[in-house]
Amino acid sequence: MENIVQIVVDGRTIAAPEGVPLLQAMLDAGIDVPHYCYHPKLSIDGSCRLCAVKIEGMPKLQIACNTQVRAGMLVHTDDEEAAQTRRGVLELLLLNHPLDCPICDKAGECWLQNYSVRFGSRRGRSVMPRRKLGKRLDIGERMLLDQERCILCRRCVRFCREITKTGELLIFNRGHRSVLDIGDSRLDNPYSMCTADICPVGALETRDFHHRLRVWFFTQTASVCPGCSNGCNIMVDECYGQIWRLFPRRNDAVNDTWMCDSGRLGYRFVNRPRLRHPLINESGAPSAATWSEALERAAGGLIRVRDTWGGSAIGALISPHLTTEENFRFGELLRALGAEKLAMAVPRGAADNFLIKAEKAANARGVRELGLVSGEDDGLNSLLQSVRAGRIKALYVCGEDLLRVIGAEQTAALLQPLEFVAVQTLRQIPEYARAAVAFPATSFAEKNGVFVNHAGRAQRIAVAVDPPPGWMSDGEIFTQLLNRIESRAERFSPEAVWSQIAAGNPRFAGLSLDRLGTLGAPLVDPENIGPQTVHTAPS
Amino acid sequence: MAVQVKKVLRPPPQITSWRSGLAIIAGLWVTTRHLIANLFGFIRGRQDFTVYYPEQRFLHAPALRGMPVLVQMENGRERCVACGLCEWACPTSCICIFPAETDSEVERYPEIFDIDMTRCMFCGLCEEACPEEAIVMSRQIEISTYSRGGSLWHKEDLLVPESRLRTRIDFLRSQYGR
Repeated sequence: MENIVQIVVDGRTIAAPEGVPLLQAMLDAGIDVPHYCYHPKLSIDGSCRLCAVKIEGMPKLQIACNTQVRAGMLVHTDDEEAAQTRRGVLELLLLNHPLDCPICDKAGECWLQNYSVRFGSRRGRSVMPRRKLGKRLDIGERMLLDQERCILCRRCVRFCREITKTGELLIFNRGHRSVLDIGDSRLDNPYSMCTADICPVGALETRDFHHRLRVWFFTQTASVCPGCSNGCNIMVDECYGQIWRLFPRRNDAVNDTWMCDSGRLGYRFVNRPRLRHPLINESGAPSAATWSEALERAAGGLIRVRDTWGGSAIGALISPHLTTEENFRFGELLRALGAEKLAMAVPRGAADNFLIKAEKAANARGVRELGLVSGEDDGLNSLLQSVRAGRIKALYVCGEDLLRVIGAEQTAALLQPLEFVAVQTLRQIPEYARAAVAFPATSFAEKNGVFVNHAGRAQRIAVAVDPPPGWMSDGEIFTQLLNRIESRAERFSPEAVWSQIAAGNPRFAGLSLDRLGTLGAPLVDPENIGPQTVHTAPS
Repeated sequence: MAVQVKKVLRPPPQITSWRSGLAIIAGLWVTTRHLIANLFGFIRGRQDFTVYYPEQRFLHAPALRGMPVLVQMENGRERCVACGLCEWACPTSCICIFPAETDSEVERYPEIFDIDMTRCMFCGLCEEACPEEAIVMSRQIEISTYSRGGSLWHKEDLLVPESRLRTRIDFLRSQYGR
């Protein structure tokens, strides 16, 4: 059991577990001590010397990251000696730094900029020419290296050695000639772009974000990566109505501070040409239609099939990319129609034993927890058989996963003989041309909701990119169809639907949106309700 | 609801004192004095101080803040590296930059650099923010166009050779102690 002790920092008493790094204890208490090489998820290196503080009883200044908390420590961070040390360290770091901030991608979120302004001296005294080293070096598929900007904190070296255990990046030579470079292999591991996140300066840059928009123009939104069922916590950077980059957000219960490269590059589908208006197919070719026309046709088609062949002739393919609330509404719609054959197509891909999971969809677990699908393959084969046997006359398809799971030709052949097909899709797909009604789907960045990850942790997503005016999200489409079928007049509100889920489903009991917060919470195990770990946001 | 008329009573004009009459006479005297001086001033060798625009042009002082333009280096490229500081400093958000990468040593250049001159208010903050002396306030003040679209200036239209902006750049260096 951790032994909580009291220490005094700048006259303020703070409590911290004995033995943790002093720097972490001070950061947790909200004391902003400058540091470069320390990272909470990496081993301690002590190479930047910037976090030096005065501890009473010690002969010299001590670096706070490599000092363990002991009971009764008296620490001074605002001491004149410490301030002078910081100024000196920053001056030495800037000796060879090229100061090419105008062309550096890190400018605006660079720790060297921030600390130089706050703690450094404004004038360099060196008259020697700066070191000339490699710039824009091609070190990997997705990464670039600028050796001049590197301040040799070795965070990336430790990341490659300890987290990915591949060890591509190394420091060569010693002392003033030290230089960061790749060793025998290129920096191509599936988490390589995390090195750009943890680099305190712009030495490691991602190719994807190289010479693009300035970081200070972005609006940041906390969200969840839609790439696989791990549900890594991310921030979404939006500007001019599109996404420019994703980067990980700390959540110790899910992804620490990392995310994989394919997830990070997986935002592009949001910006690609999308279906922006509903399509209806009257004469063999899809044509643009208004929302109300499309809704009327979809409701009319579904009701006609139900009245002619009964509700069991309606099948539905549930999307594991929609939020839990939207799928709950979809379930209500299908129940109102009397549909029985529900299935979910989950695309699968490569996995590893760290973050990347095989199920390439964010909310497959959420659909299963709602009880909409069952079985090993989520009812997919049973649905396909029914369609091929002609027992299903109408199919409501959400998403484009069918193409990835059974292939494009199979999809087109599957939809061909059906009486009525409605789809919700991000892009206009030729295989879906057969559909009588095609609604534009909403991506994860354009809506509020909750995803449930593979381990059963409910996490919130939020609107990062505003959809066009008059837009109907997937949940709104389901609600409008339900309105037309049951003669109701409701609007879709994710918050109201979530409280309905939380009230009705024991797995979601008590999980209010406030409770989920930014870091989410695990689903309730009705048979084993005990104290649950609540992770607090890092300072 | 029927339209109703409400009579508003205006206070009658009041002459508060005889001083206002004197002020009118004093103003008229100033005007007349200038008229006479300009009509007959040539007798005492007085020069015209008006300029026959547009046949004649006035050479403005370097402190004049005209339209912001981009400095073109001798190799024909823009000096701008698309760092985005002018875009950030601009109080009216009239600048729009999209950067791109080049093979040259500077790595970065503006692929798109637009200034919306209907919004620009000639404050000169872009020039002050620029770390590369790449955007300066020129002497160009004739920026009227026949359409609103003509007020959106693109990078190609904004480039001005450095030699023609020398006075302003020297002035800036003396002002900001660069």
